[in-house]
Amino acid sequence: MKKVFGLLVSAFLLVGMMSTSAFADAAKGQKYYLKYMKDGSGMNGAKFATQHTQAEWKALFDGKAEKFVAEYSKKYPGLEAFLKGDKFEKFMPDIRDFCVEFASDSGNVPSC
Amino acid sequence: MKKIIAPLLVGAALSSAFAADDSLKQEVEALKAQMAELKNAQSKINIDALKAQMNEIKAHDAGDNIKWTVDFRTAYDIVDYKVNSGMIPAGDTKNGIWSNKLILGMGSQPADNLVFKGSLAAYKMFGNNGATAYNPFQNMDWYSSETPDDGTIRLREAYFLYFGDIGDVHYSASFGRRPSVDGFMTNLRAGNDDPASPIGHNINMEFDGASFKFDLDKLTGVSGMYFKICLGRGNTNADSKYGAFDNYMGSITGTQLYTTALPYAKSSLNSPNMDLAGAIFQIYDNGQYKVMANYFKGWNMMGADVSWTGVGVDGNPGTMDDTYHIALTDVGDLTGGALSFQVNGIGDGISDFLDDSIFFFSYAFSKTDPKGTHGLMVPGVGIVPMTEMLGSADKETGTSIYTGVQVPGVMKGQRLGLEYNHGSKYWRSFTYGEDNLVGSKLATRGNAYEIYYILPVVGKNLTAQISYMYLDYKYSGSDMFFDGNTGTPMTAAEAAAAGMGFVESAQNVRLALRYRY
Repeated sequence: MKKVFGLLVSAFLLVGMMSTSAFADAAKGQKYYLKYMKDGSGMNGAKFATQHTQAEWKALFDGKAEKFVAEYSKKYPGLEAFLKGDKFEKFMPDIRDFCVEFASDSGNVPSC
Repeated sequence: MKKIIAPLLVGAALSSAFAADDSLKQEVEALKAQMAELKNAQSKINIDALKAQMNEIKAHDAGDNIKWTVDFRTAYDIVDYKVNSGMIPAGDTKNGIWSNKLILGMGSQPADNLVFKGSLAAYKMFGNNGATAYNPFQNMDWYSSETPDDGTIRLREAYFLYFGDIGDVHYSASFGRRPSVDGFMTNLRAGNDDPASPIGHNINMEFDGASFKFDLDKLTGVSGMYFKICLGRGNTNADSKYGAFDNYMGSITGTQLYTTALPYAKSSLNSPNMDLAGAIFQIYDNGQYKVMANYFKGWNMMGADVSWTGVGVDGNPGTMDDTYHIALTDVGDLTGGALSFQVNGIGDGISDFLDDSIFFFSYAFSKTDPKGTHGLMVPGVGIVPMTEMLGSADKETGTSIYTGVQVPGVMKGQRLGLEYNHGSKYWRSFTYGEDNLVGSKLATRGNAYEIYYILPVVGKNLTAQISYMYLDYKYSGSDMFFDGNTGTPMTAAEAAAAGMGFVESAQNVRLALRYRY
């Protein structure tokens, strides 16, 4: 059993070295939405994300998300300070992934 | 010579030009013919028929519109029990187990205010497992998708949600088999982003029932506040169809035999209906700080009722050499509750490490309320009919604390988790569905420690996880039923004095690869 375990741990470490590096995280995006954007938009994350299709969100977040910042600062003035601040720039990839993940055409079914 | 060549060249050029002109004309004519055919064909297309066909396809898809997800894990578990004495041989008992676990998730939404969710699961050990047939509790309804055995696909979750609004209160009503495994906090060690419904500290098992949730955040102005009523049935007292053949070779009385002749009638061979009603109150959730509480009462908790026949070799009834019969019966009620707190992102911008770290702490209690009379095996005395739960005739309170952190790993996307929990002498949780092989760590009457490391291989679609769990038991009877035969808390010394075995500790190492999409 020790040999099997040793082999498996070695394989595990090897897998770890092969693993992909940085990637954005929709779950973190959901957390940031809840913390920084929910009050400003006045709606929950699921409802917010279904405002656009995946392609539309991708277009809005293209580059440094200038189109998203412009549209949503105007649409929800309560979000303007956050969207034009440093935090949004930092968390933008996660928020984009969250919006794309739960977009109107994502096929995702909301939970309770 | 030039005079001859020049006219010849001009003639050749003119003739080829005329030939090219003819060819072009032919091609134009051919194109015109094709265009005419196309126009003709287009005019014959029945737009209404196409529309009807589209509607048919749409209707077909709408009726076949389950969105499936896959969660598949291959794991190697090492289990190791340290036994000090008694009927199980003393010393270390180890085993290495390969398993495959498949969860097929389902979701559909025919209307904005109606959702169906479900999952089917198969959890099997590699190869055959002949022991299953001899263990009636291996696939008990509380954890049938959490105990590896054969490749049978079982129902893990199936429920619908109906949404609506009453003024500022958004509500949902739901019936079915609940999303009640890997709830709040325990979702972290499970590697799941989103927790299931309950607080995982004291409820982590499969059951059927209903829930009614009311979002109070808009009404109160408190971020994330909601109140949820949960109802469930953990055991249904109903005999099966053609029930007279149940226990055909077992020991049942004539009266019991006749009662089983009525399909799905109540049976004295079964424990009474076991029901649970509770409330989950999310006090606050702003994405970073989350506070949740629950309180529940369970009626008719099941426990072992031991009886005997004969007098054995020693001629005395109720002693260890007699023939024993064990049935499940109602031994009393249980109340419980928890208050839990989680920080998802410590501080605000202090460092990336702290922003990405999670800390939680939870306190829970349980309280017994014995009722009825059943047979209890008392060491050195024999079987004594009495009213008791967890080996005590009194109402006993148990408590537990559960705390942990999850921090970023060495490379981006990797996660390291550390968890600790402690349970008191009479602690009893509903955590039978916890995903490990040595028994629920959160049910431990003693101390339990866990360390795990999760790393993405292909993003979140393929992950690897290694975990180590150490359960240090101070009292026996953790993770058992609610009676004294199985759940009496005894120290190692008390168990030894009674001639009974005592598991001092249990360890579970798991290496797993998990695919999700």
